[in-house]
Amino acid sequence: MSESPRRAPAAPATEIRSLAAAVVRFAGLLRRHGLPVTLVQVTDAVRALEHLDLGDRNEVYLGLRALFVGRPEDAAVYERCFQEFWRATFELAPELPGLIPVGPSDGGPAPTDAKEREQKRETVALDAWGEDTSDDDGEPLGVPGVSDREALTSQDFSTFSADQLDEVLRLTIQIARRLARRLSHRRRPVRRRGRVDLRRTLRANLTKPELIELRYRERKRRKVRLVLLCDVSGSMDLYSRFLLQFLFALQKVFSQVETFTFSTRLTRITEHLHARSYRQVLRRLTDVRDWSGGTRIGESLAQFNHEWPYMVDRRTIVIVLSDGWDTGDPEVLSAELMRIKRRAGRVIWLNPLLGNASYEPLTRGMVAALPLIDHFAAAHNLASLRELASKLTL
Amino acid sequence: MRDEIRKIQGLMEEAQYVTDAPVATSVHLAMSLRKPLLIEGHAGVGKTEVAKVMSRMLHTRLIRLQCYEGLDASTALYEWNYQKQLLHIKLGEKAQRGVDEQEHEIFSEPFLLRRPLLQAITQKDQSPVLLVDEIDRSDEELEAFMLEVFAEWQVTIPEIGTISATYPPHVVLTSNRTRELSDALRRRCLYLWIDYPSYDKELRIVERKVPGLNARLASEVARFMESLRRVRLAKVPGVAETLDWAQALAALHADYLDAELISETLGCVLKDADDMKRFSAEVAKSGLASFLPVQG
Repeated sequence: MSESPRRAPAAPATEIRSLAAAVVRFAGLLRRHGLPVTLVQVTDAVRALEHLDLGDRNEVYLGLRALFVGRPEDAAVYERCFQEFWRATFELAPELPGLIPVGPSDGGPAPTDAKEREQKRETVALDAWGEDTSDDDGEPLGVPGVSDREALTSQDFSTFSADQLDEVLRLTIQIARRLARRLSHRRRPVRRRGRVDLRRTLRANLTKPELIELRYRERKRRKVRLVLLCDVSGSMDLYSRFLLQFLFALQKVFSQVETFTFSTRLTRITEHLHARSYRQVLRRLTDVRDWSGGTRIGESLAQFNHEWPYMVDRRTIVIVLSDGWDTGDPEVLSAELMRIKRRAGRVIWLNPLLGNASYEPLTRGMVAALPLIDHFAAAHNLASLRELASKLTL
Repeated sequence: MRDEIRKIQGLMEEAQYVTDAPVATSVHLAMSLRKPLLIEGHAGVGKTEVAKVMSRMLHTRLIRLQCYEGLDASTALYEWNYQKQLLHIKLGEKAQRGVDEQEHEIFSEPFLLRRPLLQAITQKDQSPVLLVDEIDRSDEELEAFMLEVFAEWQVTIPEIGTISATYPPHVVLTSNRTRELSDALRRRCLYLWIDYPSYDKELRIVERKVPGLNARLASEVARFMESLRRVRLAKVPGVAETLDWAQALAALHADYLDAELISETLGCVLKDADDMKRFSAEVAKSGLASFLPVQG
């Protein structure tokens, strides 16, 4: 899927008669900019042109947008691509439709080899997410395998060397998978019998004169939703990566995992995590990092509350991962965190510095946040991540 | 602009729905390409309204499926009326009918409870509008199930057989984005994002829906709402709130907005104690004038 459509030679505008071909190339351009455009969408777009006034640029813009853009975040990319690709040329060729595609521009420089290699390390583990390799069935949780690996679990992530990280990533995912199996198999004893299930009761009593054997229906247990707010400024970046990997391997335990990263501002990365390329995700993680600005936790939480007000409810666990070094106003932080707390089932704050015995949460941000947190933990090594899992049910 | 789109815009305005080019274009394409239209946007911007207006425009029935967590296929599609079946068996016990006959009887149309999806498929005269409201509240399983139904427009009920739609419905789905919808669903739909209205659009909406309000007050209300949405609020008021407020002001026979009137009626717009505080803080800082249009 990754190969780009063949580049058409830069033909003079008047020679391009086939609008359909142009739409196909336009779709290719969108795809290269990361929009997930399918073949059906392209054929629909060609069909749609018959229903649109091709002399009205805005109408074509809006019509194709309805087809190609599936979420508001993609609108900006579409806008740029559209402006770049379709030029209004009424003066040049009045007999032609009002739109003339210009030749596709470069879809950005291809990633260099070095960059790719650097990213590869992280994607080794990521590529395997979700697929259950069931060779590790039934092993007790506490034993991740070889004993020298056990030492790794209590070591702070930041102390690993670059090549050790590979190993630790793999281990993280392995542990998370086992935890997932355990969490999803856990059954709560049912105290009350549920409602009578008439469908199954009738079936069971087909041959009996009366309804003797009643069948019950247990209320469907709703899964918990996770909202993750990860600090990716400075040293937090590394911990965020581990937490993300850990939780995404745990994914199936939750009804849904929503992920945001923040430093000075908030970015939603959920769809990129679901998405096609994890490499993109990891690039994204570093993209949003802003070294100069410092971390503005309160502002980021405010942005979260403002833009995603419906995301938190009683069945939601909100996890903030941050060291609490906030350059913003601590009052904003506590007010916004309060808002989240009022709606959420549980608020967990993870601070990797807590793994250091001498650390005390005295930063202004941390002091402001502490009274509003249900669970405060470190998440600085594998052992603490494993411990975290027990807090992830309501 | 295409005539059909202009016509749709006209029809929507006629149906008391103030619209703009993006909405009209999307509705036009959804109807002519016969694709489901997925509408996202904040609460109270008129997403559901689009479906209602569509049904009014087409003079057809609106069938609504309100989604919630735990909504399952049988509640969305069909269910047998077990209570009625049981009673029927009990009442017929004396009659000594054969098992086959009895089975045939209780698994027939009169015992079938048609839920919205089945209703949408079995319309006899013309395509209805099927509104799947707040699909983000349903589970992924149901989403997948609906995709299946949308693809074929036919369902199989084991006891009766396969029912396929003679008039496939026009589908409108709305979402508040409490959950990310699957890519599969997005790909199959046309997409429309409805944002909070611009000042002009909101003014037109107020004028249209609350005709009792004088022109000055209407423009003040629209300007006020525009400025208010710039304040960082927990619950940003939508158009529904604007209209509530405008109606309240009309009922009070107000002529213009002043501090007193605003504080008395602000409950129509702001529904959160923190937001009230925030608003007062903003007024204390930059004055009420910053929320009102410059009088010319």
